[in-house]
Amino acid sequence: MTSEQIEPGHWRLGFTEPETEFVLSTLARLARQYQDDPGKMPPALRAYWQGIISSKPGEPSAEVRELQDDLAEARTELRSERLALIENWMREFELAEEREPWHVELTTTERDEFIAMLNDRRMALALELSITEEDMEADLAQIPNDGRRAAILEIDVLGHFILVMLGPQIYRGQ
Amino acid sequence: MSQVASMRGAKRLTPIRRVINAEAGSVPLPFALDPLPFRAAEPPGTQTLPQIDVEEKLKTAFTRGWSVIVWNDPVNLMDYVVYVFKTVLKMNEKDASKHMWEVHQKGKSMVARETREKSELLVHRLRSFGLNATMEQEPA
Repeated sequence: MTSEQIEPGHWRLGFTEPETEFVLSTLARLARQYQDDPGKMPPALRAYWQGIISSKPGEPSAEVRELQDDLAEARTELRSERLALIENWMREFELAEEREPWHVELTTTERDEFIAMLNDRRMALALELSITEEDMEADLAQIPNDGRRAAILEIDVLGHFILVMLGPQIYRGQ
Repeated sequence: MSQVASMRGAKRLTPIRRVINAEAGSVPLPFALDPLPFRAAEPPGTQTLPQIDVEEKLKTAFTRGWSVIVWNDPVNLMDYVVYVFKTVLKMNEKDASKHMWEVHQKGKSMVARETREKSELLVHRLRSFGLNATMEQEPA
């Protein structure tokens, strides 16, 4: 995968054929999740898609309940907006004359959404399979369950795509 | 949202009542002021919030007493978290890295202290990037 800034505020992403296949499959799965009713999801996934405004245990105050409702409403709108973006990108892919490599041009805002959406998929996979920090650091070959291994691999590959788009960064101040 | 609308309606009434009460307190009036006409003007089914409740709500909404906290999780990448802090919270690289490490090592970090409205917006934005963010009101 490649990512280059073609002018201020505009980016051009490039995907080889297997990368395109991988990204399109991720987007298709995400689209399904954006359409699914969080009320019918397992608790951890439901909490992710609806959001939790306060970590305080016990009965929330009326004010916190109001904030919680606002957050859930905003997250529902976000899912609809992201679904619309996926449909646009899918349409762009269908119309693309050249698909090997496939190039897509995005504004910085769209690129940020794309990054956040790939991260949505990583988070959803981890929550669905209760993936822990130990799982993420483990040698893939040592993970016995095929589904779990595939999920961790997908989380890793999407993480790699995200880092390519972010460019080289160094975190300091440990 | 609907509560905000009724708060605004109630707020508009408050200054008028204050003026009348002030006049009543300073100059002896030859007649008694009755608040009933204000109530009669309200459409049927409208509930007037108590004045204290409205003022309290406005005070808490605009007091800078809410903390935004980001919690650790096993999946978000360190570089990604730094990028989100820089993008959403407008932190510089050094502060973003410092808070990222705090989340990673201590399990959480307070990344902002703001009004209720601003904190709510920040939590929404941080969560839109997949970070586990909450907001808590600081003790009075």
